[in-house]
This record gives sequence, structure tokens and C-alpha cells, in this order.
Amino acid sequence: MEYILKNGIVYDPQNEINGETMDIFIKDDQIAESVSDDAKVIDVSNKIVMPAGVDVHAHVAGPKLVLGRLYRPEDSRMGVSQKTKIERAEAGFSIPCCPTTGYRYSRMGYGTVCEAAMPPLEAKHTHEEIATIPNIDINPVTLFGNNWFCMEYAREGRIEEMAAYIAAMLRVSKGYGVKIVNPCGSEAWGWGQNVHGYDDKAPYFDVTSRQLVVALAKANEMLGLPHSIHIHPNDLGHPGNYPTTVETLKSIKEIKKSTKKAAKIRDQTVHNTHLQFHAYDGTSWKDASSGADKVADFINHNDYVTGDVGQVTFDETTTMTADAPMEYDLFQISGLKWANKDIECETAAGIIPCIYSPKTPVGTLQWAIGLELFLLVDNPWQICMSTDHPNAGPFIRYPRIISWLMSAPRRMEMIENGEVHKWSHKRTGLAGLDREYDFYEIATITRAAPAKIHGFPDRGALTPGYKADIAVYDVNPNDFDPSRNPEMVERIFTSAAYTIKDGQILVKDGDLVATKPSHVIWTDVKGWEREEAQVLNEMMPFFTQYYSVKWENYQVHDHFLSNPIKVEVPAK
Amino acid sequence: MKTITFNQIKTSSIALEFDEVIPDNIYTWDNSDFDAYQVPIGNSRFPITDFFDIVIEGEAESPAEVKMVLNGDYGRVKYIGCKMSAGEIIVNGNADLHAGAEMSGGKVTVHGNVEAHAGREMSGGKLEIMGNTKEFCGASYIGEWRGMTGGEIIVHGNAGKQCGECLTGGSIHVLGDCDILAGIHMTKGVIEIDGNVNRWPGGQMKNGNIIIHGKVGRLLEGFVEQGIVTDPEVQGKVYPGKYIEYKGDIALNGKGALYIDAEKNRDRLSTWIEEDDEYNAIRVYREQ
Repeated sequence: MEYILKNGIVYDPQNEINGETMDIFIKDDQIAESVSDDAKVIDVSNKIVMPAGVDVHAHVAGPKLVLGRLYRPEDSRMGVSQKTKIERAEAGFSIPCCPTTGYRYSRMGYGTVCEAAMPPLEAKHTHEEIATIPNIDINPVTLFGNNWFCMEYAREGRIEEMAAYIAAMLRVSKGYGVKIVNPCGSEAWGWGQNVHGYDDKAPYFDVTSRQLVVALAKANEMLGLPHSIHIHPNDLGHPGNYPTTVETLKSIKEIKKSTKKAAKIRDQTVHNTHLQFHAYDGTSWKDASSGADKVADFINHNDYVTGDVGQVTFDETTTMTADAPMEYDLFQISGLKWANKDIECETAAGIIPCIYSPKTPVGTLQWAIGLELFLLVDNPWQICMSTDHPNAGPFIRYPRIISWLMSAPRRMEMIENGEVHKWSHKRTGLAGLDREYDFYEIATITRAAPAKIHGFPDRGALTPGYKADIAVYDVNPNDFDPSRNPEMVERIFTSAAYTIKDGQILVKDGDLVATKPSHVIWTDVKGWEREEAQVLNEMMPFFTQYYSVKWENYQVHDHFLSNPIKVEVPAK
Repeated sequence: MKTITFNQIKTSSIALEFDEVIPDNIYTWDNSDFDAYQVPIGNSRFPITDFFDIVIEGEAESPAEVKMVLNGDYGRVKYIGCKMSAGEIIVNGNADLHAGAEMSGGKVTVHGNVEAHAGREMSGGKLEIMGNTKEFCGASYIGEWRGMTGGEIIVHGNAGKQCGECLTGGSIHVLGDCDILAGIHMTKGVIEIDGNVNRWPGGQMKNGNIIIHGKVGRLLEGFVEQGIVTDPEVQGKVYPGKYIEYKGDIALNGKGALYIDAEKNRDRLSTWIEEDDEYNAIRVYREQ
């Protein structure tokens, strides 16, 4: 099938196209230089055309989600709609059911989502869930930050073995990259403890999170993976945690980025996720304030770092993370129901419901710090849109965040008319920031930058040969002032005029018109087979003795994958 | 005033759902609207006139002027009066699950027995049950920690397990007996039970009040005896008589009050417990 998107106003930051009126050609599932005369013309004049959205970090599939849904049936009854000829029934707000997740991303014009935490032991389950999410491609990143083998390799400084282990585990779990969550901390939770700061040791393993993170970063670059390490540092959500964050990022500075082809697309060697939760100053919640300026300043001076924000959206949501001790701390504060999930030798996760209210000081402080980070980091290629779905808010709130970013008057209105608590301007510098994003920068933080950070060679831009993943929004940027119309901004980004995925029209005028099966994207490292075999051989006695599953059942076999896209990383 | 009478023609083994047939929606309806309406049954819908002969008398300007009279066996009709905000529903028979659930105003009276989840998450209005009801009367939705927030439930018969679970306001009065864990997780509101309670009233309660006029079988260990009180006043209402007052559930640092009739529960007083075999047996066991 061939299409011409005619006369759209195109924002494509990767190709430096900023609001030019032009035609986009689609041939089958790819963007093309030209098409034949039979192509169907879709008139998109006076409408914005962007590459389809890429979510840099969200939790959409996996054991935590299932536990969350089991644990919060009261969330599932929100947002219920009946099935139609195209859609299955929808349900859920912060943890929607699998098909609903796909539909809602599609309506916003998204095409690719990174599932940000997949423990290898639960990888099969994660892939089963991915297979039931339609319309979006998903690249799950595998958790290594509290893995017993990784901690041992890090302590002994065996980087090559660690690289071989990562290569093997990416194949075993069919994962895309290296995710680190509260390094050493979730393991310490197995002993009822946590680590505090970057140089604290995990009990028994006698390794600091600094050693572990640096080793993982070196191994990542040794392999030349398309994505850098994707880290959630220690001390999440604790007042006074910004030095830990800066320390963590600083320790990666000396590590050289891989020169391999797969790693060429990205510029960074570390991606720090949900920075908002890691940019607090003060010593306790009594004197907590924003550390966003210090974190942003560090990012502005160091181009090897990228981050996403994890913006609080003032909703009743569900927090779920592989940072189990933090969830227990949160439970101690909120007193709401708490669930814990231990993943044997790999990680531990926790879940509690969370209500971010604009009337409370802490929720407002978090909201303001998130916006400060967006506005203080100068280069939009280094900061991405995320709510750490569902931790700081559900992904369906992205359009609202965009409206805040595009409208300084709206932010000031919220602060001045008391819509948000006074900590928003007393404890942060948000009131002094009048920067406003334009559509080009919005396209960067929601599409181009996430695709580049993840090292995707086939999406995030409208380059011929790329996947035909395109979003069209019904607004003419030449006679529209987003600063004065924040509600309108939210509305247009909530329901795309068209969402095209792999050359197929899925959404028209905000309504789903078709669904398609999703793809899963994973990394296959070539040329390490001998080292991998050695490492697996070495770990096998331990595995046989202590894991609750057999090796044969641990591996995710090909038939578990839904339409896999294999990213091959060639030999050393 | 508009009176809409539903006379049952036939029953269905799969439950009908009545959450759309509430005064808020039907106060303007006439016979042709009912002829056109299809009621949800399982995963399908069928004409409501297959099941009921509907008689309409009078006119209504607002939901508050509507009185629905339901004659017949409504033991397989769920969600009667669910989410209603005004008007009156009288059921001359039994009712199925979720009767009066999420109602915010008006009145529902059931002259029969009611299944579980009656008055779930009510925020206002009055639900009166002349017979018995089952589990989770005046409770929260499953998983939800914010339950009934207002209104009044009166059960003339017995209530089932976990009556008033997660109660966060309003009042529940059970004239008969109550099964285990009345007022579990409650944070506010009043539960009054005239009959006996077999076990564990107020488990994990954080605040609120429970008054029991009958005999209590077994109390949870998290309730601490405060002494005997006479004519206690709870939320502006005086309950005449002598009660043993407990505070709990201390397992959750709770500050709820539990009053149980002092005469009928004399054996529970600490001075009596010294001579109580069951408690002595537990103490001996613990000291081992």
C-alpha cells in the first residue's frame, strides 16, 4: 500500500526539519523517496506531521504489572469501555490491561515504547504480555543492577566475563539493553536493608554500587550495545539525594563510548531515568527543596549523559519499581497497601498505590522539580518526556505535560491561583523560569531524542528507508499560540488526527480504525559465543542448585516472541 | 409524583442488571421508552418488557419525584438503585448483589433478603433492608481502601461477614446478629449491632466507633480494655446502658472505639478473665 501525506507541516528534528510544509511518501511499511501514481493521497495541509512517538521509559509489561493489576482491582474499574468491532474492552487507569495500553498509546500518536524493567527470570512472562499489547513496538531492557553474578564479576573486576554474561542473558531473556535499578540496594533489601549513597556496599557481596555501575557501563561499551546503560540510581525519592545522582553520573565520565556500528547512533554512555525522583536537596521532608538546578547544570556540562524526567502529573496512580526498599519506605509514609515481589537472585520489586495531590507539599515539590528539569536542561536531545509510567503518573498524561511545557502563563497561573501548594515556588525556582518549548523541541523530547538514546536505526525520524511510523496532529502551528491555549495543546496531543504504524493507518481523528500485532525488539550480540559458553559453564552449578527453574525453562525461546525485530551487534 | 410499578412476568437464571433503571435516568420515561429499552443480562441485552409488566402513574419533573415499586422475586436482579442520587425504590421481595451500591441520595427499601455488597460505597441516602443481608454490606469495592463515606444502612435481620469493611463515614445499624470482622479496616463512621457478634469486630480498625448490644464471642488481641462507661455519647448520639469500652486496633496504632454491652459480656472484663479457662489456657501456652 502506498500513501502520500500531502502538505503537512513537518517537524523532524533528526533531519533538522522545523515546520516545513512538505509531502511524506509511504511505501508498504517504510518511508520512501517517492511513490507511484497509484498512491493514495491523504490531505494533511495545515496539520502537524511528526515521526510517531517513542517512549524512552515506561512499565507496560511484566510481572510487576500483573501483580499491580491483581493488587489494585479498584484501578481496573476506571476507564472501562465496551468492546467495539475493532477494539477489545478497555479497563484501567494507571495500570491498564494489555490491549488498552496499546490503544491509548496509539491514540496519542506513539509507535514504540521501552519496557523499562524485565528480570530474566520473568522474561517469558514479559514477552507473553508484550504479545498481547497491540499497535506498539516494545523493546524490553533487562535488569542487571542486582544480579548476583554481575555483583560477583564487579567485585572481582572481571569485565570481560561480565560482558559475556550480559550478551548471554540478553539472548536468554530476549532483552534490548542493560537496566540498573538501585544498584546493590534491591539485593540489600533481601537482608532487610538498603544502600545509602553511591559507595555503600551490598551485604555479603562486598561490592559498592559504584563498582557495579562502572563495571556494567564498561561491559556495555565493550559489547557496543545500541543503548547505553539505563540507570535508576540509589536513594530514589529521598531528600538530599542529588549528590548521589551527580556522583553516579560522574563515575561514568572516563568510560569511552564504543566505536561499534550499533553504538554509533547514540551520543551518551549513561541514561539516567526519572531524574525528577533523583534531584532533591535538603535533609528530610521538612526542609526538602529542589536540587534540579545542580543536576541540570551537570547535564548541561556533560554531553555523555541523557535523562528522562518522570514528571508527576497529580493523579492517583500506582508506583511499581524494582527498587523494593524504596517502596517499603513509601509504604511507611503513606500507610496504603503494599506488595513486595522478590525475584530470587536477580532483583526485588514493590508496589503501592500513590496519590499525588496538588494540595500536598511533597507532591507539588516533585511536580515543580520535574518541570524545572525540563526547562533547565538546555539541550532537548539530553532530556526526554516520561512519567515513568505508572510511577509518577499514567502515560496518557503526556499531552498535559506538553501543555505545561509550552505555556509559561499556564504554569504561573497554577502557582499564583493556589492550584498547587506554595512549595512549588517557595522550595524551587520554577516561578522564575519563563522558557517555553516549541513544537520542534516537543518533537525532539518525545520522538527524536528517545529514538536516538535507544539507538534505533529505523525509527524516530521521517528519513526514507525508516519505518513508516508517523503521527499527524490537527493544528496549524502558524496561526496557533500554544502558550495561550494549553487546553487545546492537551487536546490535540491526546487524540492524533492520524497514527500510522508500519505504513498502516491505525488511528483517524482520535479513533482507532485498526489494530496490528506488536513487535518486540531485542539485541543479539555476535562473536562472543566462546566467552558466553565459558561463563555459562561456570555459573551452571550455582544455577542448578539455587534457581527455582531449570535452565531449559529459563530461556525465552523464539516462539515466545511476538514478531521479533533482532538488532544484531557484530563481533568484536 | 410519578410511580413506576414493575410487575414481574418471568425470572432469569442469569442476573439482570438494573443500574441504568434508576430514578436519575427514567424520570422522564413513558411506556414507549420502556418498550424500547433493553436491559443487560450477562453479556447481552434483552427487552425489559419481556420480564416486567410496567405501569406508570403520574408525572415527574425531577428524579426526586419518582417512586419505583418492584413486585416479584428480584433475587436475580443486580445493581438495584446503584448510583442513584434521588427518588425512592421499594422492592417487595429479595434483591441480588450490589443493591443500593454507590448511591448518593434517595431511599431504597427491600422487603426481603439482600445478597452481598448491599450499600457498597454509599455516599448518601438511606438503604433499609427488612430481611437479612450477606457479606460486605456497606463495604468498599474490592481492593479499594475508601469504603462507604456517608448515608445510612439499616438491616433489620442479620448481616454477613465484613459488614462495613473500610467504612469511612456514615452509619450502619444491624438489628440482628453480625458475622465476623464487622468494621474491618474502618477509619470513621458508626456501626451499631443489636444482636450478637461471633468473632473479631473491628479488626485492623484505625478509627470510628462500633457499638454492640449483644454478646461478643471472641475479640482480637489488638483491643485494649479502657473500663466501663455509662451512657456513652458517640457522634452526638447517646447510647443508654453500661458498656465495656475498648480501644484498637493497636496492631495498626488504631484509635477506634469499641463498646460492648457490659451485662451480656461480664465474662470479658479483666477481673473475670482471671477465672476464665480459655484465657488461662492461652496464657499458660504463651508462658511456655
